Amino acid sequence: MENEITDLKNYNLSFHGQGKTYFGIVIVNWLLTVITLGFYYPWAKARNLQYLYGSTAFEEDRFTFHGTGREMFVGYIKALVIIGLLYGILFLFIYLEMPVLGVILFYFAFIAILPVAIHGSYRYRFSRTSWRGIRFGYRGDRGELFAGFFKWIFFSIITLGIYGAWMEMNLRSYLMSHVRAGNVEFKYKGVGSEYFLMNLKGYLLSIVTIGIYSFWWYKDLFAYYVDNMSLHKDGQEIKMKSIATGGDFFKMIMVNLLIVIFTLGLGYAWATTRTLNFMVSKIKLEGDMDLTNIQQTEDDYNDATGDDMTSFLDINFII
Amino acid sequence: MLSTTGTYFDGISSNPQVIELTLDEADAALRFGTSSGQYSQWPIDEITFEHIGNFLEIRNLHHSLELIKVNDAVFTSGLIAFLKLNGHLTWYQRILQLSFKTHIGIAVLILGIIVAGYLIIIPTVAEKAVALIPQHYDISMGHTFYQQYVNDNTVDSSKTEALNRFANRLHLNNTMKLHFTVIKSSTVNAFSLPDGNIIVFTGIIDVMKDYDELAGLIGHEVSHINNRHSMKMLCRNLSGYLFVSAMLSDVNGIMAIIGDNVHNLQSLSYSRQFERQADEQGTALMVMNGINPKGMTTLFSRLKSTEKVTMPAFISSHPITDDRIADINRLYKRTPRPFTYNPVLENLFQQVKN
Repeated sequence: MENEITDLKNYNLSFHGQGKTYFGIVIVNWLLTVITLGFYYPWAKARNLQYLYGSTAFEEDRFTFHGTGREMFVGYIKALVIIGLLYGILFLFIYLEMPVLGVILFYFAFIAILPVAIHGSYRYRFSRTSWRGIRFGYRGDRGELFAGFFKWIFFSIITLGIYGAWMEMNLRSYLMSHVRAGNVEFKYKGVGSEYFLMNLKGYLLSIVTIGIYSFWWYKDLFAYYVDNMSLHKDGQEIKMKSIATGGDFFKMIMVNLLIVIFTLGLGYAWATTRTLNFMVSKIKLEGDMDLTNIQQTEDDYNDATGDDMTSFLDINFII
Repeated sequence: MLSTTGTYFDGISSNPQVIELTLDEADAALRFGTSSGQYSQWPIDEITFEHIGNFLEIRNLHHSLELIKVNDAVFTSGLIAFLKLNGHLTWYQRILQLSFKTHIGIAVLILGIIVAGYLIIIPTVAEKAVALIPQHYDISMGHTFYQQYVNDNTVDSSKTEALNRFANRLHLNNTMKLHFTVIKSSTVNAFSLPDGNIIVFTGIIDVMKDYDELAGLIGHEVSHINNRHSMKMLCRNLSGYLFVSAMLSDVNGIMAIIGDNVHNLQSLSYSRQFERQADEQGTALMVMNGINPKGMTTLFSRLKSTEKVTMPAFISSHPITDDRIADINRLYKRTPRPFTYNPVLENLFQQVKN
């Protein structure tokens, strides 16, 4: 046993992005988006991700985002057509004077699109990310996710939202446990009951303390995300642990708020780099994995429709 | 020939391999060999690079998972200078290489264009757009609201009838058929709808003492309708809101929120412009009908005494009462207009009051 403990080593995750550089990217993106009446948006999104991924390093080697504006543009158009079709059907039913049926179908279709979009988004984002030349990948099954998603949504509705905590954890476990980087597999083991109690406590204490506790609630949410994540390869493992405190969150959020407000929003670039730097520096990684022999296993996947769909639906992609 | 030691990842495994990397300027290519004897050449026009801090990451466009890492300032600046000289920097990289001050300048410039567009283009376009919108649109919009409103409130039918007779005695330059409705409510207010419907609350009738005040109120509300103020307001607000959201939400949520709030303040100022216009034209209508324009200022004084809090002008949808009284006085006090006592109107006014 003692031998095993001494074999453990720490891995280093770091963020090297700088507000000043990122500001340049944000501003140039903004300029081009305004000039092109919004058509530049997919390219802007790609540039943005390229910078942020490229500024994050694991063991001093940076991640790379290989997605391009062109892929995202094609995805953007497809997503636009799909959403347009949905509205088309809704208006058709309203025109046929069957508005109730139209609205029901519309919402049903929307819920049905969600898991498909999430699936597509994960496949695209991960296949387009690499580290040390090794591609990430997402191997979840669309049908399986679709069935699970409908079941969880159904339970959430009949329990008036209480099952939402279980739904969130089931979804996250399913998604993250199918993510890999070459032959390294991710695992997430958060469970609904713990997550529910944590949120209940956070919610009640935040009310009692007029919001002050919310920073400690964030800390718990962050820790629950990070601490339950681990990486596996050939019986070797890397465990993750959050070392952030409620006070850390308080300071980070308050300073960001002041920066953004006093610069009328222009300080957004600094707030973003500060946040990422904070998160990355608060994750400790420990384990016995050999990182020099990860093998390439994943294929290329260049359909960005799901990714653009999730940004239309305003679902933030979290990895 | 520039040379350095770098790290190479072959895109098959994550094993870092030490390489000798050379920039061959004559052939315009990067050459490197690994310790295992593998030898490669990447033409300059097939590479992309990322320059982050001291690190330089070089990739091949055709084998995007292969990666060379260099941590050598001399080699990095040499390679970038070579690429620049040979026109291999993209326009995007060129913009990004501009100084921080230039980037700030760009940001200020875009903000300036947005503000100018917002203050000049939007109101002009919105005003033009209103002329294009057919009047039946105003009518159906006002009508829908009116039906809903009358259903939810109690109409005083005898006062309504008397008020309509009162208004019929006046020449109001109206472009649309007018219809007045009196609603039982203690609210000291009245408002007009774009279809020619005017709602008056019993609260405001109760505070009036003279028929010229009622004429003032009617003149004011009719002027809103004559000028299609509701539709203008709708067009300005909608286009301004779309403009602000489209321009700012691409950057971030906070800017969009700030933009929306500035827009709300701005639309209150539009609303004050419209109120002032309605005051002026309403008073002109009184003069035209031989009614004492003082009725308008008396009405405002009565409104003022019912106001509980005085809001500063910049957060109010109406100009503050003192300002309105002063504006009308400025127009009519120095050059008094002839007016005659009108017993018919006085009689109808008493019917509206009782």
